[in-house]
Amino acid sequence: MEESSSRSTRSNEQRKEMKKVLEKTVKKRSKEEEEEQEQEEVQIFNFKCTKEEEETKEEEDLSDSEDSVFSGLEDSGSDSADDDEEEEGSDHKGPEKDDLKIEDEEEKRGTETEEKQDDEYKHDSSDEEDIRNTVGNIPMEWYKDFPHIGYNLDGKKIYKPIRNKDELDDFLDKMEDPDYWRTVHDKQTGSDIVLSDEQVALVNRLQRGQFGDVNFNEYQPQVEFFSQDVMLHPVTNRPADKRSFIPSLIEKEKVSKLVHAIKMGWIKPRRTEDDSRGRYYDLWANEDSSILAKHKMHLPAPKAPLPGHQESYNPPPEYLFTDEERALWEQQDASDRKLPFVPRKFSSLRQVPAFPRFLHERFERCLDLYLCPRQRKMRVNVNPEDLIPKLPKPKDLQPFPTTQSLVYRGHSGLVRSISVSPSGQWLASGSDDGTVRFWEVRSSRCMRTVQVGGAVKSIAWNPNPLVCLLAVARDSVVLILSPSLADRQVVLSTERLLSGQREAESTEEVGPVTWSDAEGEELSQGITLKIQHPKAVHQVTWHAKGDYLASVMPDHSSHLQVFIHQVSRRRSQNPFRKNKGLVQCVSFHPVRPYFFVGTQRSVRIYNLVKQEMTKKLQANSKWISSMAVHPGGDHVICGSYDCRLSWFDLDLSTKPYKMLRHHKKAVRSVAYHRLYPLFASASDDGSVIVCHGTVYSDLLQNPLIVPVKVLRGHVITHDLGVLDVTFHPTQPWIFSSGADATIRLFT
Amino acid sequence: MSQLQARFFTDNQRYVVDDVPFSIPAVSEVQDLSNVINKLLEARNASHNKVEFDFLVRGQFLRTSLSTHMDTEGISTEDVVEIEYVERITAPEPEECMMHDDWISSVDADAEWILTGSYDKTARIWSLEGKAVMTVAGHVDVVKDVAWVKRDGLTSLLLTASLDQTLLLWEWNSERNKVKARHCCRGHTGSVDTVATDPTGSKFCSGSWDKMLKIWSAVPTDEADEVEEPADRPRKKQKTQQLGLTRTPLMTLSGHNEAVSSVLWCHSEEVCSASWDHTIRVWDVETGGMKTTLMGSKVFNCISYSPLCRRLASGSTDRHIRLWDPRTKDGSLVLLSLTSHTGWVTAVKWAPSHEHQLVSGSLDNLVKLWDTRSCKAPLYDLAAHEDKVFCVDWTESGLMLSGGADNKLYTYKYSVCPTDAGA
Repeated sequence: MEESSSRSTRSNEQRKEMKKVLEKTVKKRSKEEEEEQEQEEVQIFNFKCTKEEEETKEEEDLSDSEDSVFSGLEDSGSDSADDDEEEEGSDHKGPEKDDLKIEDEEEKRGTETEEKQDDEYKHDSSDEEDIRNTVGNIPMEWYKDFPHIGYNLDGKKIYKPIRNKDELDDFLDKMEDPDYWRTVHDKQTGSDIVLSDEQVALVNRLQRGQFGDVNFNEYQPQVEFFSQDVMLHPVTNRPADKRSFIPSLIEKEKVSKLVHAIKMGWIKPRRTEDDSRGRYYDLWANEDSSILAKHKMHLPAPKAPLPGHQESYNPPPEYLFTDEERALWEQQDASDRKLPFVPRKFSSLRQVPAFPRFLHERFERCLDLYLCPRQRKMRVNVNPEDLIPKLPKPKDLQPFPTTQSLVYRGHSGLVRSISVSPSGQWLASGSDDGTVRFWEVRSSRCMRTVQVGGAVKSIAWNPNPLVCLLAVARDSVVLILSPSLADRQVVLSTERLLSGQREAESTEEVGPVTWSDAEGEELSQGITLKIQHPKAVHQVTWHAKGDYLASVMPDHSSHLQVFIHQVSRRRSQNPFRKNKGLVQCVSFHPVRPYFFVGTQRSVRIYNLVKQEMTKKLQANSKWISSMAVHPGGDHVICGSYDCRLSWFDLDLSTKPYKMLRHHKKAVRSVAYHRLYPLFASASDDGSVIVCHGTVYSDLLQNPLIVPVKVLRGHVITHDLGVLDVTFHPTQPWIFSSGADATIRLFT
Repeated sequence: MSQLQARFFTDNQRYVVDDVPFSIPAVSEVQDLSNVINKLLEARNASHNKVEFDFLVRGQFLRTSLSTHMDTEGISTEDVVEIEYVERITAPEPEECMMHDDWISSVDADAEWILTGSYDKTARIWSLEGKAVMTVAGHVDVVKDVAWVKRDGLTSLLLTASLDQTLLLWEWNSERNKVKARHCCRGHTGSVDTVATDPTGSKFCSGSWDKMLKIWSAVPTDEADEVEEPADRPRKKQKTQQLGLTRTPLMTLSGHNEAVSSVLWCHSEEVCSASWDHTIRVWDVETGGMKTTLMGSKVFNCISYSPLCRRLASGSTDRHIRLWDPRTKDGSLVLLSLTSHTGWVTAVKWAPSHEHQLVSGSLDNLVKLWDTRSCKAPLYDLAAHEDKVFCVDWTESGLMLSGGADNKLYTYKYSVCPTDAGA
């Protein structure tokens, strides 16, 4: 309404026709752009509109005029009049109604398509139809008797076209005019209109129920914007409710009720049905597991192989032997043959002779069954690396000797024995060239050479730091040497020790051992005492206090194998009445009155105070060569000629705690370090193996033995390698003497 | 990374080049760099003679190509490298070979004379030219160490320490060539292995196998000290025929658990001793107390102290020479270890006039000249000896000496670089 009224203001003529419209408002409306109308004015206008209900006709007129002004089309005006007319006069047009309607619509479409470029929706309502004739929607027959048919927008009469056609003309037209069928009579204007091809086509489409627009595709693909897969736009843009973030109080209440019920035991959890008990049972449940294991281990008897083509009486020719194959078969040993027989061909089964090897074959089959394994043997799968005990790395066990530092050269024969002075300043060595040499350790300088007149078998420095004495075993004599390489006080006390009981000596009865003072040349060299033994002395060793000296004379037939000498009183005694095997080496216990005697196969430990044997260690080796006692006194190592080194833990067992088989040849000498947890073994293969051996005071903890270093340097001469090995008393250094007449210091 | 930005600088005013960065190939070695410097110097000064240079990158001698050196030292190649260059130390030239009758245990040289101790129980005095001047005989056992005490005109005082547990203080007149034993220092109960005179020449310190250090007066007097002879050996008295007047120690420093192998004076109130018990101890002579203990892991054979760089160098029974700071309190921090020898290091000695140089002798028959700025490899190996080397020494006049078990004392002439001394 408002729109139409505003439009009405545009045309001045229409304003004149509107009599009741207030002039005020009209003036205001004339200012088109004024949107800011005052409230009351709008109300007034509205009021006016309600009043003007009767004047709808005028309004129609207004709309008509407006449209005509805008469209500016001549034809369509009559069309719209037609439309009106058609509605009214539908009854009398009866049969033609359909046609007309179609044409009418067609016309409308036509105008619409023409107008399309302007604005599609301009004439969207029926009010705005293009009407030239202003008579309105009345039966047109009312104008039957008038020369005009109505009035145009200017109020002038529209005259009927001069109609001189009668029925005959009509018929003639129908017969002759090719466009007759597309000619439509416009009642409002009374003129005939020939429809164009497009209009006809449009009519046809509409009749078929299709869309008026040719280009309209009714089957256009649908653009999905909201489905379960696609959600281009939200269905609603409303923000989520607060309640969707807050836990539901009602649910909480319900759950807490349930929880309380479960706690109180009012609700019991659903019991799962135990299906297996009733319906199924374990067939082997009561079976003995050993039987099962037996079944698992069972191996079926081997089956005889089924006969193949070779065994056939009429084998295919490729299975028959050629001459070469036959020759080869005959040459081969029975066990090497691929086939135990020669395939042969017979023309019929009748001609097959008796099998000559039948019994033989049966026997072999029986043997197979008899000898075949019937049980699977389980082999334990062990990773070989797991068997290696976890040992600390040698690097963590420093210090130990690693490199050769000094070579003491000077001897001309093999050096059988070496010994280091208790202070660590001097090294004494006895050699087969008949000399004893004294070396300064730090510079490898030979400070003194003593000719003893025979191959030196063994040499031992007195462990007492207050005296400077050396026991040397040469042939059957043990020489006590005073090298006078020490302080005056020490030399003095040495002299005192030696001369102490000189007077008492004469009263001793003459036993198997005789003591005598050295004289002349020998005395000037430092030899002070000679202890004559009945046989060749093999080894000498001192007691830790430095007063007692033990010597060994290995002999199968005699019980006079070991002597213990007391230097200060010049006494000798044979502690053993019986011969219990070939004595190889002896040693004193470092702190307690025990005496270790190593025979070929075992080590016996004697208590010197109680005069009885306390222990016998079985070395498990064929021939013990050497022995060393740990400075703590609870451990013994033995080297043997069958390349082994056995460690005995005296508290643990009489069997070796550990056997080390690292040497390739006979072990000649073993030694413990006095301070460091080290021990070493020297062998004929020219190497010295240094091992780390920590001993724990805890009885439950076994000694930790780790081989740490193989020291090489000595040249193997006459199949002899390293003959003696000894540690420096204070430093982690080791001396070794070899058959190549050298002594080497490894640090 | 084929080019590096490097800036060269030197302390030697004669060889200064422009202080601008140069772009040099990264693979260039010492010889290439030396050529570059020589080129630059020639451009500045037409009369420049070619000089061989050595190069220091952040205080380390360049021994490989520049890029590998910087790679191993972890120096960024992005920045401008500061390269210092010094005139190359020329190889020491062997001068004289002095034959002895026996192994040489020790050597001490001063500006005029060389004193050597030998295993033939004598000490000898040699001129710097290698002429035997005097044989000092008197010990009954091997002479283990010798030292000059003082020179007063023509008379000199010298010391010999011996395995016979005594030290002898001799007076030697070089004009009359007469030597006289002034004092026989008794008190040690083991071989006296080392002796050192204090900087003033009034005292000396000796170290012995008996684990003791003893301080003695070096001033000769005409009176013998009182010696309390053991009461129970009166008959032996006549046997010890006296050589000079008996002298007893002023002070005994005990604390070592093993033999003392080397002793020296840091300054007039401080004595430093190395021992087989793996420690180096610093003693205060005034109070007789121990000040510092440096713990090592191996037996120490020798130590040397340089007042120029205030570092202690030690040679031990492994093959390393280690540098210590004696001022650290109870620390056992090794500042640097020089490793090239293959045997025990028996002797080390700092250069008297050079802060960085030291010489070492080893049981592997080699004498090595080291620069602490090149710790991986020595400057020069002197392979003159055919047997173990026991002693080395320097003189300020440009002579290096080494003696050993092949009975030969070698002297080498080395170039004293006064310009590098302050470097």
